[in-house]
Amino acid sequence: MADAFTPDGASGAWALEARGLGKRYRRGPALQDVSFRLPAGRICGLVGPNGAGKSTLLGIATRQVQPTEGDLRVFGVPVDDPEAMPKFAFLGQDKPLFKRFTVAETLRMGAELNPGWDMAAAERIVRSGQVPMSARVGTLSGGQRTRVAFALAFGKRPDLLLLDEPMSDLDPLARHDMSTLLMSEAVERGTTVVMSSHMLSELEDMCDYLLVLAGGRIRMAGDADALVPAHALVTGLAPEGDPVAALAPHTVVECRVQGRQFQALVRKNGPLSPDWVVAEPSLEEVLLAHLRAPDVPPLFTPGARTEAEGSHTS
Amino acid sequence: MSTTLTDAPRTERAPGPRLLRGLSWLVARQHRAMLLSLLAVMVLGSIWLVYERGQMKDFLDAAGWPAKELAQPTVESGSVGLVITALGGLPLILAVFVGAPLIAGDQEQGTAQLVTTQSVSRLRWVATKFAWVYATVLVTAVLLSVLFTWWWKPYRSVFPALWSDGSVFDNTGPMLPALCLFMTAAGITIGVLARRVLMSMAITFVFAAAAGVVWDEMIVHLAPTRTITYPLNADMPSHLNESLEVDRWIGSADGHLYGWGLCSKASEKASDACVKEHGIVNNVYEYLGFDQMPAMQWTGAGILLAGTVVLTAFVLWRVSRRPL
Repeated sequence: MADAFTPDGASGAWALEARGLGKRYRRGPALQDVSFRLPAGRICGLVGPNGAGKSTLLGIATRQVQPTEGDLRVFGVPVDDPEAMPKFAFLGQDKPLFKRFTVAETLRMGAELNPGWDMAAAERIVRSGQVPMSARVGTLSGGQRTRVAFALAFGKRPDLLLLDEPMSDLDPLARHDMSTLLMSEAVERGTTVVMSSHMLSELEDMCDYLLVLAGGRIRMAGDADALVPAHALVTGLAPEGDPVAALAPHTVVECRVQGRQFQALVRKNGPLSPDWVVAEPSLEEVLLAHLRAPDVPPLFTPGARTEAEGSHTS
Repeated sequence: MSTTLTDAPRTERAPGPRLLRGLSWLVARQHRAMLLSLLAVMVLGSIWLVYERGQMKDFLDAAGWPAKELAQPTVESGSVGLVITALGGLPLILAVFVGAPLIAGDQEQGTAQLVTTQSVSRLRWVATKFAWVYATVLVTAVLLSVLFTWWWKPYRSVFPALWSDGSVFDNTGPMLPALCLFMTAAGITIGVLARRVLMSMAITFVFAAAAGVVWDEMIVHLAPTRTITYPLNADMPSHLNESLEVDRWIGSADGHLYGWGLCSKASEKASDACVKEHGIVNNVYEYLGFDQMPAMQWTGAGILLAGTVVLTAFVLWRVSRRPL
């Protein structure tokens, strides 16, 4: 489907590459055996229920969390190598900033701490939101503060931008502004974006790549355009009230029986029976079905899975 | 339309030379209030010490000291006690208000995440913080210690406390800077481990208070004591006037020692009988001489500085190994 998007050879073409990544806290594992690849230049949605390990994965990618096992590479550089630092920018859930700094000082901090700093771009983002440069960060509204945090992230000129529920505390107008800003900046620079979000509609609009986590494991990974058509929403008659036998060659993600009729979301393996009514599900339906069914084997589109080079031994 | 006009010409940097760059700028800016407070403590404290020394000098000159004896053996004015209390409290204040929140504040506010996701490593950031805080604390403490020593040394005989007392010993020479650095390092370490500002300040306060008590007990062990023997009825040699008594015995001619109170009986007759019975001829006096003070202070400062190095190395090692 997408040979252009699945570069081989040079590992620098992968924005993120995880092999057997795991993180165990005292209360139990947060991530287990996570392996995937994210091609450069994509906008990737990170989806999963609360406690699925999204923040842990982003934490590992931003050096805030140390993995217990496995490794993660950012454009081919191991994430614990300081050389990986200029390659990514991070915008956390609560967007911490120094409250007593002015906006100008916050941007100066970006300039002082980042070798590739782009002051013009950062100032443009701040100015386009009418945020006064001399205002103290502590006095700004939530939307304005998010804008400053965005400016700090984009001013770094990252190749990879990691966002942990960036819009969760914004009103709809500010959320729209930020999404537009994010998309235009990312497209203009070819920045790879990974954003976690609970807003499935938001993801559907913005993302062309998906990473679905549940219970600390990958459920689905790959092109949004390929993941959805791999599924079918079928409606048909169940012979003896049990459609499982009829659906056998396909992977059933979710199945509901009503009387003699069943409706199922399946992953197609070969042709579907002509007796069934087949529809293409929406992205939201596919995601919800997978989040409800943690035992279905994970689905990777071609290229999204890392080769098991002895790192899957656990 | 009118808003676009203002956009173009304002991109140049604010005027003024950039004295500091990179992490130094960030640390100085973030901790500006704390660094300026320390500077104020240094300046005002210095003025105060110089003023108090002048006051004491004027008072003693007016009293004709040292030619004439003072009415009271020591100058018990309130301000001397206040200076000693303030200097004695400085290490604790530094530990609680400078050390404990230094990194714990960033951990609690999330700004540690902000800084460490820029392009500098945690280790460099924390090391820069250490450098700024240690330098400021060191300069402040050295200046105050030098001024207090300069005041105390010539007038020590009228000070209400002996040289070996914590209120003098800990505030003069190399001891004050060493104590300030050690306590600051302890505060920083507790902060990094506790990760919460208020909790680390409380723990640091308890630690610093306990460490102060333990340290005062340590002072007499900082140098080997000396022992002198002199005849039972003679006065103590005058060069021991400024010495610190560690222990005291009475001894017989064959070198046998008895407790000081052995022969303090109700009547003089009984005492004399007791002295005769045990053959006691000598006073034996174990002491630390005033000339031992610099060696004791440098030994103490060495121990504290070694502690500072250990704590600093531990924090840097931990920060480099695991996220904040």
